Amino acid sequence: MNIDAAINLPPIGNTPAWLAGVRQEAIERFRQTGFPTPRLEAWKFTNLSALAGTSFREASPAEVPELTRADIEPYRLTPECHLVVFVNGRFRADLSDLDRIPDGSRVVDLSQADEADLRLLTAVPTVEGDARARVLADLNTARMTGGAVVHLGRGAVLDPVQLLFVGRPEGEPMAFHLRNLIQAEAGSSATVLESYVSLGKGPYWTNAVTRVVVAPNAVLRHYKLQAEGIEAFHIAAISARLEQEASYAMFAASLGSRLARHEVDVDLAGERAEAKLSGAMLGRDAQHLDTTVRVEHSMPGGTSSQEFKSVVDDRAHTVFQGRIHVAPDAQKTDAQQVNRSLLLSPQANADAKPELIILADDVKCSHGATIGDLDEDAMFYLRARGLDVPEARAILIDAFVAELIEHIGGDEPRAYFRRAVDRWLAGGGRS
Amino acid sequence: MLKIQDLHVHIEGKEILRGLDLELPDGEVHAIMGPNGSGKSTLAYTLAGREGYDVTQGRILFDDLDLTEMEPEERAREGVFLAFQYPVEIPGVVNANFLKSSVNALRKHRGEKELDAMEFLKLARQKLKLLKMNEELLSRPINVGFSGGEKKRNEIFQMGMLEPRLAVLDETDSGLDIDALKIVADGVNTLRGPGRSILLITHYQRLLDYIVPDKVHVMVAGRIVRSGGKELALELEARGYADVVKAAAAA
Repeated sequence: MNIDAAINLPPIGNTPAWLAGVRQEAIERFRQTGFPTPRLEAWKFTNLSALAGTSFREASPAEVPELTRADIEPYRLTPECHLVVFVNGRFRADLSDLDRIPDGSRVVDLSQADEADLRLLTAVPTVEGDARARVLADLNTARMTGGAVVHLGRGAVLDPVQLLFVGRPEGEPMAFHLRNLIQAEAGSSATVLESYVSLGKGPYWTNAVTRVVVAPNAVLRHYKLQAEGIEAFHIAAISARLEQEASYAMFAASLGSRLARHEVDVDLAGERAEAKLSGAMLGRDAQHLDTTVRVEHSMPGGTSSQEFKSVVDDRAHTVFQGRIHVAPDAQKTDAQQVNRSLLLSPQANADAKPELIILADDVKCSHGATIGDLDEDAMFYLRARGLDVPEARAILIDAFVAELIEHIGGDEPRAYFRRAVDRWLAGGGRS
Repeated sequence: MLKIQDLHVHIEGKEILRGLDLELPDGEVHAIMGPNGSGKSTLAYTLAGREGYDVTQGRILFDDLDLTEMEPEERAREGVFLAFQYPVEIPGVVNANFLKSSVNALRKHRGEKELDAMEFLKLARQKLKLLKMNEELLSRPINVGFSGGEKKRNEIFQMGMLEPRLAVLDETDSGLDIDALKIVADGVNTLRGPGRSILLITHYQRLLDYIVPDKVHVMVAGRIVRSGGKELALELEARGYADVVKAAAAA
């Protein structure tokens, strides 16, 4: 990464002076710290040296890959869904379907963000964390060129919206710094799906930052499919702030990329907010897939669950780090965490690091982690009924992941992830 | 149909079957009885081809096939079926989906056309009706939350669907109350007939009141020590295994 090149900040619409200042400070932080290393606790299990050692260019706005709607059709949630498409980090109006967004709500590119959007997009995350571990988000702040701004008006219902991010590698490796905002006003309800896919082979870097605000009594179902190409790097940080009685469900399937980190910070900042976080990492070959979750119970009466599973084959490596932090005032918190890993080969590797910091006394918290291989009794049972080893394995792996998929709200998103998992089981799944 | 000759089986280096001979002709039902630890379940698992059950001597002939070195799925496709003593619970896998894959694996092996979803459902309903079982069985995850009776019934239903030439029923009566036992036994009797041999492994005579065997074998310390007609089961029931164990030790 040529850091000095990053000093020339690309414009975002009519950049206000304060934003230029924020971006300048962000790039300074990145320059001082450089890429996070495993010496930082938050990056203990994920080594970014391959990413740091690759030189990335940034696509110029003049580079518009030739793509048609037919090219992206296979990745679309449904033919009817609201769709906003980004190719190589930039908005593509010609491929998007945004003409049916109801009045009072908005789905636009970052370049159309208003001042209030930009303030939310660049606010410092409220979930506590080491600033040095977040410098890739700083780099994103400095370099962001596109992303979706989804604004759900008061009481609005928007179902579903798909944000489709397509990587189309061309020439020297490119970096795409995407910045998304999903803001659900009071009483609104929506399903938002982020899909990251590749069209074409070759290395590139997706560096995505998504900010989420769920206002009182709003319901947001936020899903993410990471199915980038096998040479891609994918670093994504989601940070969500939940207000009073807000409900936020987040499911992510990570099955693409050579190296991927899916980071989710959720602040239950209002009373009785609810967060259901889940995800599946499916790794094979030499993939490295990381999921890092931090849940902060700032206010009383909150409920959070984390259910993360990984299936690890060949020499792949998965990492799950899950933190639950309960503030002294957050009485009557109910926080659960479960992490299960299935190792399919002797070289496969899974790391799990649960972390519970509980500063209130009237709470219900639990966590559990298991790492194991396929159940021998179940394998024999299936084989004794005539299924061969690959079939029996596929059935058991599928069953392991199916539990998570079944909890996805909405038939279409559920079918979408079902298909993605089926493709992975059949040996593919990555674009 | 089934011929077991001088079968020796080790588990983790320990010899459990020690020269077992058994012949099960076509269409017959034989019971194997014996005290705990005599190797009955080892025989069942060995016939099904479970890993870790090492055949160190002897062989298992099934018609003109030598099963001894075959993989479990190859045996199943040739028509060997094991009804498990402890059917495995597999959360997340719907019974019908699993059984459709299973039925089709066997059909494919026999060079028959695979069943589509509708054809499968039709066949499954027909078998459930025949066995007087509830259709709800199809939509549940494999054995999850099943009572002991339901698990055993599910085994018999699978047997009905797979139409094996050799069925080994390992302690199918264990853990069943009398009503469940009758249902399971009726199911087995329905499936009894020419072209299908059944090996009933049981500790108690009770099951044999409902499934009347052509022959009874007594197994002690990894061998068949006595064989006889169905009256042998009654004798064992009345006098216990002590005499046969003693006689076997003396021999």
